[in-house]
Formats: sequence, structure tokens, C-alpha cells
Amino acid sequence: MTTANFPRLRTSVGKKFLISITGLIFSGFVLSHMAGNMLLLVSAEAYNKYSHALVSNPLIYLAEAVLVIALLTHMALALKLAMENRAARGVKPYRPTNGEKSTNLGSRWMAQTGLLIFVFLVLHLKTFKYGAHYEVTYGGQTMRDIYRVVFEKFHDPLYVAWYEFSLLVLFIHLRHGISSCLQSLGIASSRNPNLQIAGWVFAVLVAGGFAIQPLYLMSLGGQP
Amino acid sequence: MIGKLDSRIPSGPIEDKWTQCKFENKLVAPANRRKHKVLIVGTGLAGASAAASMAEQGYQVKVFTYHDSPRRAHSIAAQGGINAAKNYQNDGDSIRRLFYDTVKGGDFRAREANVYRLAELSVNIIDQCVAQGVPFAREYGGTLTNRSFGGAQVSRTFYARGQTGQQLLIGAYSALMRQVGIGAAELFTRTEMLDLIVIDGKARGIVTRNLVTGKLETHLGDAVVLATGGYGNVFYLSTNAKKSNATAAWRAYKRGALFANPCYTQIHPTCIPVSGDHQSKLTLMSESLRNDGRVWVPKKQGDKRPAAQIPVEERDYFLERIYPSFGNLAPRDIASRAAKRMCDEGRGVGPSGQSVYLDFTDAINRLGAETVAARYDNLFAMYEKITDENPYKVPMRIYPAVHYVMGGLWVDYHLMSNVPGLFVLGEANFSDHGANRLGASALMQGLADGYFVAPYTVGNYIASEKQPVIRDDHEIVRSTLAGVKAANDKLKSIGGKTPAETFHKRLGKIMWDKCGMARTDAGLKQAATEIAALKKDFWNDLLLPGDSSTLNSELEHASRLADFIELGELMCRDALERKESCGGHFREEAQTAEGEAKRDDANFCHVAAWEYQGDGKPALRHQEELKFENVKLAERNYK
Amino acid sequence: MKLHLRVWRQAGPEKPGKFVDYDLDGISPDMSFLEMLDTLNLKLVRQGEEAVEFEHDCREGICGSCSMMIDGNPHGPDRGTATCQLHMRRFADGATIHVEPWRAKPFPIIRDLTVDRSALDRIIAKGGFISVNTGNAPEANTTLIGRDLAEAAFEGAACIGCGACVAACKNASASLFTSAKISHLAKVPQGHPERKHRVQAMVAQMDAEGFGSCSNTGACEAACPKEIKLENIAEMNREWARSFFVRE
Repeated sequence: MTTANFPRLRTSVGKKFLISITGLIFSGFVLSHMAGNMLLLVSAEAYNKYSHALVSNPLIYLAEAVLVIALLTHMALALKLAMENRAARGVKPYRPTNGEKSTNLGSRWMAQTGLLIFVFLVLHLKTFKYGAHYEVTYGGQTMRDIYRVVFEKFHDPLYVAWYEFSLLVLFIHLRHGISSCLQSLGIASSRNPNLQIAGWVFAVLVAGGFAIQPLYLMSLGGQP
Repeated sequence: MIGKLDSRIPSGPIEDKWTQCKFENKLVAPANRRKHKVLIVGTGLAGASAAASMAEQGYQVKVFTYHDSPRRAHSIAAQGGINAAKNYQNDGDSIRRLFYDTVKGGDFRAREANVYRLAELSVNIIDQCVAQGVPFAREYGGTLTNRSFGGAQVSRTFYARGQTGQQLLIGAYSALMRQVGIGAAELFTRTEMLDLIVIDGKARGIVTRNLVTGKLETHLGDAVVLATGGYGNVFYLSTNAKKSNATAAWRAYKRGALFANPCYTQIHPTCIPVSGDHQSKLTLMSESLRNDGRVWVPKKQGDKRPAAQIPVEERDYFLERIYPSFGNLAPRDIASRAAKRMCDEGRGVGPSGQSVYLDFTDAINRLGAETVAARYDNLFAMYEKITDENPYKVPMRIYPAVHYVMGGLWVDYHLMSNVPGLFVLGEANFSDHGANRLGASALMQGLADGYFVAPYTVGNYIASEKQPVIRDDHEIVRSTLAGVKAANDKLKSIGGKTPAETFHKRLGKIMWDKCGMARTDAGLKQAATEIAALKKDFWNDLLLPGDSSTLNSELEHASRLADFIELGELMCRDALERKESCGGHFREEAQTAEGEAKRDDANFCHVAAWEYQGDGKPALRHQEELKFENVKLAERNYK
Repeated sequence: MKLHLRVWRQAGPEKPGKFVDYDLDGISPDMSFLEMLDTLNLKLVRQGEEAVEFEHDCREGICGSCSMMIDGNPHGPDRGTATCQLHMRRFADGATIHVEPWRAKPFPIIRDLTVDRSALDRIIAKGGFISVNTGNAPEANTTLIGRDLAEAAFEGAACIGCGACVAACKNASASLFTSAKISHLAKVPQGHPERKHRVQAMVAQMDAEGFGSCSNTGACEAACPKEIKLENIAEMNREWARSFFVRE
């Protein structure tokens, strides 16, 4: 997506606006994704039926299109801003680099954490959405047994370690990202204590919610 | 002498003089204004407001500052407030009362007509600043609030916390930058005026130095407006900013402009005392503190007990004792001298014995620490940063320091000097404060001059004069430029061993000791000898590293100091000739039995205006008689 | 006190710069940081060397001239303090102190610790004002402004334009500076008629000068000698969003 036709969106504030809106769209997505995945903790059938309902709804294509556009916009603008920011600042660091007035980690590592999340996302799609295709039948209806794919992966300690690490990165990104989005949209100051708490709560909820899922499945033990 | 010493005060009753003047003024038609160029030097309250207003009117304005931005001008540091005769407090204020207070506060040494106009315009200033968005302090109902200041029995001072000067300057700066943004005014930053170009007896341009590249340039126009501030740094230690200097005014003086009342300096009573030899400047604590702080010293000499251990009955609240009707809000000159007398009697406090207490204990007990904090917290915090003492717990220690100069280039009612086309605004002129300025009146004068006087009177001058076109290759333009270059080269070529800073401190000490709060015939004569010796040493032994084609603060300092030295000589001479005490000028030979200033109206009810006679020759003293038709000349009494 | 200083020396904008080491002795803890540098300069000048060029003027923390990075902190380690108000008692005897200029592309170095901050003036010139010509003003008390609102407007108006926010920011963003002015003028009713134009013009100029964007890190707020809040940036963003939907 280009902002060429929207000169006001081309300003730094405009870009931050778009980054924030797309960021919030994705935040909504990860929250609902996390909530839906809680069905993993209920039963294979519940999870598979939920998953099937999602992918068989034609609106899914619209939702995916929105997410893809949002992702590309978010990343493209963030990278462009990161480059502009680097150019504005120059490369010469101050000595020492971390004085008493320096700031929190999350805020300084948004581009790096964002890129890691992107890498995770690509692998994640490859592993699950485009991963092994098992089938299962409930009451005469055949559908993909996505639960089994998840179950297998979540019993691979290496995979779980990588998964949990990625969630930590997501947590860092969201912790700053949520309050930062709201500040960029002018809703409230990111220094607003309530907003800081909201950022924390959201990041804990999403990352924490996802994090307990593999741990729970692993605790069940056995084979699928 | 160029021009005449004609004050050009309009005829008629004092209330109508300014209206009359504006009516008599010739006008430049809007379409013609863009053909005329006005050069404005300085971007403080007076300069920025004049530049903005004249650019709005449609003149081509070029505006110059030696700072990196117009917003750095030292008006920014004014703390307490700005007076205006709005009578919002319903306490009997009026234009006439502000006029009266200012004339009396100036110890009857200001020109009545100018002061009346200042009082008259004061109300417009507040309106203008509010329209610009200046966040003055307000009541809960949304109206503007006021505080009290020295020398007045009404509450007429408008303020924005302890940063009134900053807020007013940012207002004027914004107005100026708006004109710069649309190309109506051209801004030259890091550009210092080093000479005035006078052709056919009229001010036609200036020579400037680009402080970054060292390049000397000439700028020509129809009129030159100096708004270059005061010369308090002649004392080295003062509340002025480090770069504040007299150079623009002094070079204009050397081109024929008269310098009026150079000896009138204001010593501000509430400054943080000197703590050591390293001290580079003195920090003012706003006069507004005297609204709630009580000034005292121990009754006993040499009482070294901590303040809290001295019982109330052993304290001397000397301002309340000596001046019961004004108390702690006695005018600055009076309060300063009283503090000095206490210290001279051996009752001063602090390690050096050169300070008095400004105590908020009673205010904190009466109002609560929170209310006191709401009023003064930024000042208390500043005090603590500098002294490492908490004024909520121990009384502040204060001592008088050089703060403001009432003297400056002589101007007529139109704020034009005797050199036609040279206008002087704000602290750089001499006109409105007489021998002592009341608190919160400097901001008022700077803005009155810049917003409301100069835009009319400069226009009148331009409309009245048919000016021939002058180009850069004009012989006088070239020779003035060459003169500046020669002067800089001369400084560079001395090749001595002593840095400018050392000479400046030496000059400051002479001035403070002998031409400071108390002056004597013998002391001033002695000072003249010492300054002459200093001048000789300076020109023989100045050490000036670096070159003149880059940013070189040593060169800037040395060049300004050379002028300060000459100005110091003139100040001592003026102080010596004025054999009376008035306002900030206190001659020990002329005092009452109680040690108060004693004027000599029979011989000195005049402005002394000095004319430059050439290098090494004594300046010539002219007099402008002051007539008091609306205020009765009386002994100034604050008891 | 004894000090070991490492001061950035650079002869001109295009010249290479480097840290130069200086030892100072006999520094009083009561000196301000600038008085300590005065002492260094006096020593250098006496040796016939060029003085370290640094910006300073009022030395009361209000003119905004002073601008130096002290051990990686704009204006030194204390919050709410400009360099001129920083005193040597804050440092340990024998300390090594790094002194650097503000570093940002829109702030080219002129010499040593002096940088060109005129970009900030150009942002103001685009909209940091209320368009009222001299003589147009109505009686001051016809515009009523509640006390709290006036105080809130003052918070933004208190900016001294020193550029510490830009220096502190990893993106060299001028958002705090720009937003402080936008916020001040958006709060008072006099500023309302041109709110839309103001925010758009000032934001556009901020970008044109080459300042980076705001990552909401809060480094600017920590560095600001007047403790101007990050909330102002949110308000600027809000003003910017609002500007799409209003007519002036």
C-alpha cells in the first residue's frame, strides 16, 4: 500500500497513525486467536469444529485479506520510519550509551522484535496452516484434524521452546506497542498509568494465554 | 552634535499628548511601505515586538540577533510580572496612578510625557499578549489575576508563574516568526551589530559580523532601530545574561548618538549572594517573593546563630520597621540600600556576612506550604539548586546585585535619538524609568515601545524624510566597514598574555566598589584612574587565541569588553558630575539624616546626555531640563 | 575537586571531531557545570589554545541556550535541570565526564559543543503562533479561561526550545518540542480558529527538517529541563487526527 495519494498520511504522524491502526487490528486478531485456541484445553473435537467453522466461512478470505494488507502496511511503514529515524539520528552513539535518563527496553527494540515476530509468523503459517494434513470425522462430517498437528508440535520440546521464546518477544512488542498505538492515535498519553497498565494487561493476557496452551498439552503427555 | 536635544513632546494636556502625536504623525500608505526597509537590532521584547508589528504593517523588516534564535534574548529571564493599569482588582488603580507611581518610583528623573504614555499603553499590552495566547495566571472564574510588586499600593502586576518574561517573549517571538515564515521579515541570527552607518547625519545602516563565519557585512535601510538591552555586565557580575552587552549602543554613541544618564543603574535587592571567585553571574530571586517573604537580620552584630535559633524579638525586620506603609515591598533602590546598611553595620548573615534573610516561615504557617509552593515553587527550586539549601526549611539568603540600567541612549518622545533615523527601544534607551525602575515595569516598557510606539513613530520618520538611495559601494558604507575590520584586527594583533575574562573581572570590581550601590567623589575619581590603567593594560596585554573567521567567543568577549571599559569611564564621569542622590544613583555626600537619597532639584532636575568627542577626549555633557507639571516634585517617601 | 574531562572538539561542520582529554583541578562543588567549563576555557586560553565553544547565556535555566550531552544525558544526570543549573556537587571527586554536542542530522555541529538548532525556529514559523496583528486585540477579560486550563496551557508553553528532546531521542524526533507548542495553543480559545492549519503545517515542517518520528520511548520527557510531558505528543496526534474532520 502506498501513501502517495494521501499527502497528509505521508507525514511522520500519518505513518504512525497507520502503523497504530494496523497494529491494533493485529492485536485484535491475536487476542481472538488466543481466545479461540483456548479450545485446545477443552477437547480435540471442540477445537477442530471451531477451526473448521472458521475456514469454511467465506468471510475468512476477507478477514485474511484485511490481515495481509494490515501486516504489509504495518511492516512497510515501520521499516520506512525506522530507516528515516536512523538517518535523522545519525550513527554516532553518545558516550556512555545508557545514561540515567535512558528509556525502557521495549520501546527501543520495536523494529527488532517486530521482525522476529514476522519470522515466527511465516514459520507458524508453514507449520500449521500449510502443515501436515490429517483428517477426522465428527458425526459424519469430515474435517481437518488440526488438533493433531498442534498436539504433535506441542510435544516437541525444541518447538515449544522456540514457541515460548517467540511469545516473550510478542509480549515485549505488545507491551510497548499497545500503549504506543493509543498514544499515536492521540487517545491518551502512553505515560498515562492506566494506559501503561492496559498495555501490560493486554500483553500478559495474549502472550500468557498462548503460553499456557503448549504447556497444558505437554502436561497431558502421551501420543495423539 | 548631530541633530538637536529636542524632546519633541507634543503640546496639550498630558492625557492627550500621545493621541495628538499619533494624529500629527505623517503616514506611509500601505502600498508604499514595502518600499521602505527598517533594520531592527535585537529580538528581546522590544525588538521582536517592533519587528513583528512593522512587518505586519508592510515594511521590509530585517531583524538581527547575535543569538542562535530570537527566543534566547534576555527578556526571557524576567520572572515576576508586567504592570498594567487595568484596575481589575478594584483597588483604585488607574492610568494616572501608574503614571504617578512610575514617576515617583523613578525619583522624579524621568520625562513625564513618556511615562504617561507608558501607563496609557500598559492596558493594550495585556490585551495584545492575551490575544497571542500568553498563559497569564487566572482566577477560577477565568479572569486574569494580579499580584503586588514593589513601589505600589495597588495590585496591578500580571504574571505567568515565575516565568512572565519568557511567556511574553515567546508571544513576541511567535509573532515575529510568523512574519519570518511568510517572508515579511528577514531574520539574521548569530549576527552581531558592530557599527552604525551614518550618512548625511542620518542613520542609514549597520555593519554586522556573522559570528559563525566571521564575515563582515553591511545592511542598509531607511531607519535603524536598536533594541539591544542594557549594559549591566559592565559590572561583570550581574543578573544579566552572559552575552548581554553595550556594543551596539556604544558604537552608535561613537557615531554621534547621545548617551543619557549612564550612571543610573538598578541594584536589585533580592539576588542569591556570591559564593566564590568562580561565580560567573548572579541569579535574581523575583521581587514577587517579597509579597510573602519577610526580610530580616539579627538585631545583634555578628550574631552567628542559625536563623531558627534567633528568637523573634532579637530579629530586625528592617524594611517593615523603616518603611511601615510599604514594608517588604519598598522599591528596589530603597530596599537594596537598606540591606547594604544592615550588612555595613555588621548585622549581615551567611558565611561572608554579606546577605540578609528572606524568610517564608510566617507565610508557610499562615498559608500552608502548598499555597506557598503554588506561588513560588520554581523560584524555591532554583534557589535550592544553586545554594543546596531548602527555602521551605531555612530562610533564603539574599543580597543586592546589579540588575538593570535606567540609563541608555538618549531618545526624544518618538524614541528617536538625536541621530535622525536611529530609534532606540526598551532597556537600551533611557526614557521612562528615571533614576530607578519599579518592578514589573521593564517588560511593560519593552512591549509598549515595540508594539505600540515605534511602529507609529518610525513610520512618521519615514514619511517625513525623502531618502536618497544608498548602495553598498557608497564611500561611507565602505569606510565604516573597513573601520570595523581594522578594530577587530587591532584586537587580534595585541598578542598579550591576559585573557579577556580577567580584564572583565577587574573592570567589574572597580565598578562595583566605586560606582555601585554607594558612590563618592573620591571613589569615582579613583575609579577613573583605575579604569584608565585597565584600558591601557587591555590594549597592551590582551591574549586572544583562535581566528576571526570561525565561531570565536573569546573575540566576541574581547570586542564587547573594549566597549564596556569605555562605557565604565563614562558611567563614573556621569556619576561624578551628578552631585546628588536619586533613585539608583546614591552619592554618599548627598543623603538625609536617615541615610536616604537626597535629591538636588535646583541643580540636577535634568537628563545628562553625553556626546562623544573622539578617542581620548572627554565627552561633552548636555542637559535636557525635566519639567514636572502633573506630578509635584517632592521628597520620595515610602514610610 | 579533581576532574577528568573528555570533551568533543570539532573545528567545523564538515571537519572530523574527536574527544580530547583535559584534567582539571581545584573545582569547587558550588560551581555550575558551565562555570567548570569557564575554568577549563580560561586555562586553555592562558595556554594560547582555542576555547571550547559552547552555548550559554542566561545561566538561569530559561533561555534554552545550553545544550550538551553529559555522560550520555542531555543536560546531565538530574531531571528537570538545564546544564547551567547543574552543579559540580552532583559529581564525584576524580570523576571522568564525557561532554558532547547534541547529535541529530537536523542539528549540524557548528563548532565543538555548538550546534545549529534553527530548524526549531522554522517549525514555529510555520504555525507556532496565533495570527493576531498588533492592535487587533479585544479587551483581555472578554476571553475567560479557567484557571486549570490556563495552567495546562502553561505546561506546554514552558518549553525553552533547547532541543534536549531531539538530542535524547533515538530517532532525533522533534515531537515533544512541536507538540508542546501545538498543545499550548490548542488549549486556549484564542488558538482555536487555526488549529487545523497549525498542526498540519508544523508537522509537515518537522518532517521536512529531517527530524525522525516519535516511537513513544519517553526519552524526551526524561531529558526535558522543563519536564514537559509526553501527553503533549498524544495531544498533537489528536489534533492531527481532528484536522481531517474540521473546516476552518
